[in-house]
Amino acid sequence: MALNLKRKHDGDVEPRKTRKLSDDDESDAVSETENVEQDEDNEEWGGIAPTQDQTTTVTDSSGRGTKPKLPPTGEELRVINDAKDLFRSSTFKLQIDALIPNVRPKASRIAPLDRFLQALHGVLMASTPVAPQHPLDAARKLIKKGIAVPYCLPQPSEDTNWKVAFEKPSDITMVGSWPNKISVKGKDGSKFGVDLAVEMPSNLFQEKDYLNGRFFHKRAFYLATLAAAIQNSKSLNVDVTYESASNDPRLTKLVLEPRKDESPNDFTKLNARVCIIPILSATSPIPLHRLSPSHSNIRISGDSDAAPVPTPLYNSALLTALMPKTFLLSTFALKENTPSFGDALALLRVWANQRGYGEGSRMCVRGFDGLGSWWAVLLGLLVSGEESKGKGTKRKPLGKGLSSYQLFRAALDFLSRHDFEKEAAFQRTKDGHRFPSEEYQAHHEAVLVDSSSTLNVLAGVPLGSLQLLQNDARKTLEKLNTESIGSDLFADVFLKEQRDLSTRFDTVIRVDLSSAKPRFSSLHLTLDIGSPANALISSVAALLRQGLGDRTKAIAILHPSSSTRPLSQALPTNPDVIYVGLIHDPHNAFRLVDHGPAADETDPAIAESFRNFWGDKAELRRFKDGRIIESVVWDIKSADERTHVPAMIVQHVLHRHFGLEDPLAIQSWQGGFDEVVRLPEVVSRVYTGSGAVVGFKGAMQAFDGLVKELKGLNEEMPLSLASVSAISEQLRYTSVFSPVPLPKSLAPNLPQNARYLPSMEMILQFEKSAKWPDDLRAIQKIKLAFFERIASALMTAVKGLKATVVVGDGVNTVDIQDSSRLEIITADGWAFSARIWHDREATLLDRLITGKNAFPHINFPSEKKKGKEQQEAVDAKEVYVRRFIHAPRHHRAIAALNHRFVAYSPTVRLVKRWLASHWVLHGHVSEEAVEILCASIFVGDGRDLTVDPENQVDERASVPGSKERGFATVIELLKDWKWEDGLFVPLYGGEAIGNAEIPPSASSRAGVWRIKTEGDRDGRVWTLHGPDVMVAQRIRALAKATWNCLHGMEEGKLDVKSIFIHPTDDYDFVVRMDSAALPRYAQNIDSALAAGGKYANLPREDSPTVLRPGFDPARLLFDDLQRVYADTFKIFCDPFGGDRFGAVWDPTLKQPRAFRVLGGFSGAPVKKENEKEKDKGLVVLNEAGVLSEIERLGGGLVCGITVQV
Amino acid sequence: MSLPSSIAGFSVLPISYTGTSTHYLYARSHTGSKKNASQTLPDGRTLFLVNVPPDATERELVLLFKGCGTVEKVVFDLDPQEKLVEPDDSDEEEEDEAEEAVDETEEQPRKRRKLSKTKPQPPKVVPLPSKPLRRLRATGRSAHLVFLDASSLERALAPQPKARPWPVSEEPSGVAHYAALFDSLRPPLDIVRTHADSAMELFEFELKQTKQQSKYRKGEAIVDEDGFTLVTRGGAYGQTLGGGVGVASKKFQESGETRTRNKKKEPLQKAGFYAFQKAEKQRNDLMELKKNWEADKAKVEKLKASRRFKPY
Repeated sequence: MALNLKRKHDGDVEPRKTRKLSDDDESDAVSETENVEQDEDNEEWGGIAPTQDQTTTVTDSSGRGTKPKLPPTGEELRVINDAKDLFRSSTFKLQIDALIPNVRPKASRIAPLDRFLQALHGVLMASTPVAPQHPLDAARKLIKKGIAVPYCLPQPSEDTNWKVAFEKPSDITMVGSWPNKISVKGKDGSKFGVDLAVEMPSNLFQEKDYLNGRFFHKRAFYLATLAAAIQNSKSLNVDVTYESASNDPRLTKLVLEPRKDESPNDFTKLNARVCIIPILSATSPIPLHRLSPSHSNIRISGDSDAAPVPTPLYNSALLTALMPKTFLLSTFALKENTPSFGDALALLRVWANQRGYGEGSRMCVRGFDGLGSWWAVLLGLLVSGEESKGKGTKRKPLGKGLSSYQLFRAALDFLSRHDFEKEAAFQRTKDGHRFPSEEYQAHHEAVLVDSSSTLNVLAGVPLGSLQLLQNDARKTLEKLNTESIGSDLFADVFLKEQRDLSTRFDTVIRVDLSSAKPRFSSLHLTLDIGSPANALISSVAALLRQGLGDRTKAIAILHPSSSTRPLSQALPTNPDVIYVGLIHDPHNAFRLVDHGPAADETDPAIAESFRNFWGDKAELRRFKDGRIIESVVWDIKSADERTHVPAMIVQHVLHRHFGLEDPLAIQSWQGGFDEVVRLPEVVSRVYTGSGAVVGFKGAMQAFDGLVKELKGLNEEMPLSLASVSAISEQLRYTSVFSPVPLPKSLAPNLPQNARYLPSMEMILQFEKSAKWPDDLRAIQKIKLAFFERIASALMTAVKGLKATVVVGDGVNTVDIQDSSRLEIITADGWAFSARIWHDREATLLDRLITGKNAFPHINFPSEKKKGKEQQEAVDAKEVYVRRFIHAPRHHRAIAALNHRFVAYSPTVRLVKRWLASHWVLHGHVSEEAVEILCASIFVGDGRDLTVDPENQVDERASVPGSKERGFATVIELLKDWKWEDGLFVPLYGGEAIGNAEIPPSASSRAGVWRIKTEGDRDGRVWTLHGPDVMVAQRIRALAKATWNCLHGMEEGKLDVKSIFIHPTDDYDFVVRMDSAALPRYAQNIDSALAAGGKYANLPREDSPTVLRPGFDPARLLFDDLQRVYADTFKIFCDPFGGDRFGAVWDPTLKQPRAFRVLGGFSGAPVKKENEKEKDKGLVVLNEAGVLSEIERLGGGLVCGITVQV
Repeated sequence: MSLPSSIAGFSVLPISYTGTSTHYLYARSHTGSKKNASQTLPDGRTLFLVNVPPDATERELVLLFKGCGTVEKVVFDLDPQEKLVEPDDSDEEEEDEAEEAVDETEEQPRKRRKLSKTKPQPPKVVPLPSKPLRRLRATGRSAHLVFLDASSLERALAPQPKARPWPVSEEPSGVAHYAALFDSLRPPLDIVRTHADSAMELFEFELKQTKQQSKYRKGEAIVDEDGFTLVTRGGAYGQTLGGGVGVASKKFQESGETRTRNKKKEPLQKAGFYAFQKAEKQRNDLMELKKNWEADKAKVEKLKASRRFKPY
């Protein structure tokens, strides 16, 4: 539309341009002018949206197929430039153009609906009047026909003295989005709503009908009678049902859905339904001024002396009966004035539908059910500006010529900035406010008043839902603001379903309200809100807000939206189960103490209400600074539980105020996630008893202590130590289990299979010196000498410390590669292993790789490099670059992230655990790759990483605030990630840092993931050796299965542990191991550890306590098997105490193949079918032989192999 | 149905493992090419074995073929490219060591020592202590067995009526292997020290040797085949090992390229000097614009075809 309007302005310019072109290049211009003419022809007969489509297709067809040889015409140029300037990019515009027709009704299928509406009009106008009668009598008459009258609260009683009646409607109009042609398809296949406003004749009403729901009763009877008339009519073949928006019986409407019969007015194909909404005429006797938010229109018998309590929600429910026509007109005017209004509204509603703000069968955000008009009002507010509220600045109107995308963005911008809690919004009106603006603010939670200045469209929408909306708008804006091209932005914003609880909320709590008994229930509140169930939910929302305070950015209540009900059911069914979703504010969420009023508070009522709210949790406390304050303290047993505080508060509030004692009534999933990264009880008990300093803090203290000791040795060393950098996951908060030392004194108390002591790696760098030998082999020897010197010096300097030189790893025998290290066990039982970084190695290795010596121009014929030596150098360089260049800076970046984002390290730990429990971590996916992958969901575009964390402005909304959400987000990423495209993670805050590359000849390895950072442009450093294609696909499949499992949350049947249990059916054979021989078995996901030795009081004497730091025979066996049988099978295991290996044969080996000397697998000759057959010399994989070899290699560890078919 | 007794010129030797499974060795007599007919693998009494079990030790192979004759030595995974420079005076004990993983590190210097058989005598490297350990090789690799006499070879290649059991040598396997390996990688500190010191001594010694042997002396110019003298960068105090006068820049030495002084050359002509250039440029820009637009359009069309734009 925008384009059409604009084109009119440009109309006179274009021909001139084309003429100019044709002067230059006459032969080419002919087709062009034709083209333009065609366009102009279209212009003549068109002007509405479909025509626009046609014109674009015309220009389209001319350009497609062949390469564009002509310069663009003026028209094309304008379209192209518009797309660039008015939209995010031209692709974005084209994508929007492709999206819009998909959410609009198909024009070709509308005709039957029109015929149906005509028939319906006839039926309604011909309905027979019903004489005035007592409401209950009338209801009894109708119930005989199977139609219940949806009387709302307060129900009419026998002694009511007014009557209900029916007369044929005084007017029938189409209202809502359908007549304005701005309907947008709903979520979950819900139908287009065609709203039909049926005006009830004014003579049915009296002035006092606004009181005590009398209007609603009359309306209900009118609706029921209409239902009867439609059901009885022969000409209409429809199903008639009731539906109440937000389950509010006052807002009941009739829903007509066609039955499929192929008759001319069967509009099933259109996927639409007709809703009949009774409305009041403008001339009705009900006085408008009685409906302002502050008026009280419900009188409760018995308390006539009390001051009348305002009934804002009741009043606005009544006002909705007056509004539809006004809305229709104002929206129409808006649409006429602002050409892109329709498209912008469609974008906004698609965006909102994808996020559950609207109807749908999955979890929808409370309050937005049946609130379609609000989106139009919102855009109206932006376009026409805000009515001034007396003081303060008012919002300036936006221009009318904005593109749909700009308008959409403006709406998101408004939503992300506007604070509905503090500020009311009023759309600009013609003649000022009708009711005082303060009244709205005083009586409604959130206010957005439409252009007629009567109705607050946000009446009854909980603030928490709006906070969530704000959060979602922020998230989307953050995405739109990033420049990244890699991710599919359009799909993220409009096409992707975003209603998943687990990635949306930091804490999800499932509450079964069926047994809720509110402590305080106010009859008045119930009457104002319209039904007890809605009153209950709204008080849950209010109390949770009060309890959580500034801990959360949003508290949303979600449940499936309202559905239709048969005519025999008067009142809507309410959902029993609601979900409470919290989005944490990371700065406040995990506070342990809530302060209340001071003890010397003059007004006792304040302290009283505080105590009343918290119950026995509230206690008077004296603080260090001398204040005595009412406070609530949340006790936690471990650091893990700190993240539970918000959930604990929700639980407490629901316990106290709604009597939900049943443990099944309130369900949350945090505990399950905590459990999988916690050491088993048997082990942790030993440590808590011993008083040893454990955890990440303990590990870092030990590290710092060791560094100090090392620096203190400077006099005794030939070179002084320049730097010590840690490169271990235990020292950057990302190891799955919190690290524990293993002092000699404790070891005997621990079970044999819980005595694994990981050794933490670090890198030593000495000052530069010319004395280093210029030979790789000699350098390795010098390192040994250094280690020996450090070891003896350390042992004399520190008592209890044990240092050993480790001369290799037993596997790699290349003598030019860095392989020796120094192993240190501190007196407290922490193990470290140190390596020496000498930067000259890189140059020497490069020389070997490139085959150049110091003098490139001289040919030393004797030094012609050998293939083998070069290959060794490539391998050594790869190890060197990864270990000495990438590992230390990766470590620093990750450690910094952990300080920046509270949920980062717990998320990494969970994800590592998940990958490990599915047998791919370590063997196929490196720990560092996981860390960067997890970082990708936290760092965004990395821009704010460089900002000083002290003065950070605001956390981005897309940053998970809890490990559960982080975990779900990573799973979603793994599920959707196209690893073929790679992933860029600005881990270092976007700074360009040295890009040390691994030698290119090493990059022909199996790994397919590409995780790039600023320091690693190829993205191969951490993924060089895996996962390969098969494993990467397997991870994707596992992520998908886990994602579906997480969906189980919505039915309340998620068992967290089941996510971490690995299915072993797919393996060809499974090697079982003796759990008693595994030092890490305690870390197994479902380890069953014996609680103690034979005698509870005696330390075990079952074995000598030789401490072997980092000794894990299962891992060594796994590495050996992986290496030895690299081409025979793929092997998988859980590095954390897994007691099984699973393996898959290389399928190509199962076919007999010709015998070769270097076959690389253990083959058995194929048996001849008969003697005559010629020997073909074929061999086939000797499976049984290989399995026996595995058993022999793992003697003492392997206790059986199961072959699966 | 029977097993072929030979396959592609190899005789099949079934070996029974504990339990019911059978492993197959493929054997052939070794025929070295004439060029490197060395004494290490003498023709006529060397057996070439394929598909050796990954954990096989020399002892185990010796035991396996005990029935056929005395085995002189075993060589695993002979790299055909690499000429075997085994010392001819190899005695039994040294051979054993060559098999061990730990030992590999100091094998190299010793070889060199052997190569440079000149006076003065090079210093000896004190070896790291070693325990007999298995070395796991990749599966399906080969080995050479040298018998004492040729008749044993024939006996070894004769078809086997029954699978021979796989012998077990005293080297630990399984968990015990890993524990032993772990311990043997951590030798006592004093031995590490003497080993490192002696290795460094040897290195210094060799450095001196190469310096003496080097074609180029300090202060002498490096002249290549064509008679050009390389002028290199000087080391400390203007002296290089086997180098000339120090002038060549480091970059030149490494890459062989001279520094390009003025990187950006001024274009000969100004871009928008003539009117037609301007017009052409404008036209090209527009064309580019249109091309991108068409490309975008095609992309979206493609996405549309895959039903990407149905939001729900």
